[in-house]
Amino acid sequence: MGLADAVRDMRTIKALMTGAEAEARSRGEQVPGPEHLLLAATALPDGTAARALRQVGVDAEQLRQAIDRVHADALAPLGIGADPLAGAAADLRGPATGPLRSTPQAQQVFQEAVALSKSTRPSRLRGAHVVVAASRLDAGTLPRALAGLGVDRAGLRAAASAEAGTD
Amino acid sequence: MDVSSLDALPGPERPEAALAAVVALRRLAGRLEVAAVVEAIGQGWTWAQVGEALGISAQAAHKKFAPEVRAQRGR
Repeated sequence: MGLADAVRDMRTIKALMTGAEAEARSRGEQVPGPEHLLLAATALPDGTAARALRQVGVDAEQLRQAIDRVHADALAPLGIGADPLAGAAADLRGPATGPLRSTPQAQQVFQEAVALSKSTRPSRLRGAHVVVAASRLDAGTLPRALAGLGVDRAGLRAAASAEAGTD
Repeated sequence: MDVSSLDALPGPERPEAALAAVVALRRLAGRLEVAAVVEAIGQGWTWAQVGEALGISAQAAHKKFAPEVRAQRGR
C-alpha cells in the first residue's frame, strides 16, 4: 500500500469509529455495535456502503428505524410500551470521553472489513467492506433489523462484494 | 406483572427472543439511568446520594454521569 492509500485508510478508520460512536450515542447507547458501524459506513464519502444497501432497497434512515423497532418489539412481550422514556432525552449529549470502545462483534466486523480491503486492488478500505463483513453476522440486533426490513443477507453481501470489488 | 402474562414472555426456551429482550432491556436501563441521574442532580441530590442509590461510589457516579449531567442541564 502506498503512503497516500495508508493516509486515506486512516481517515476512513477514524470516520468509521467516530461515526459509529455518534450513531450509538444518538440513541442513548455508550458502546457502538455492528449496527452502528454499518450506519457509519453508509455515511462514508466513497458511497459504496450506501449503494450496496440501496440495491436491497434500504437507506440509512430506514435502518435506524428498523433498529429502534427491534428493541421496541423485544420489549413488547414484557409489557413495556413503545417508548417508556418518551419524555427523556433519547441521545447522550455529554462529550464522548475515554478511549473509543465498541462491542466485540463491532470489532470483529471492523477487522474483517480491513482484512477484506487488503485483498482488493487498489487495497483501500471502503464502506462496502464493512457491509460485506456485517452481513455475515447471524445473531443480534443488526441481523434482526435487516430481517425486519425484509433484507436477504446473502443478497446484501453479494451487492456489497460487487461494490467493494471482492467478488 | 400477573402470572397469566408470564405465558407471553419470551422464556428461556425461546433463546433468540429472550436474548433480544435482554439487549433491549439493557439499552432501556441505560437510558433510564442517565435520565434519572440528570433529574436527581437537578433536584439537588448529591453525588454521594446518587451513588448510594445506584450501589456505586460517589466518585464512580460522578465520573460516569457528570459530563452528561453538565451537557443536559448546562451546569
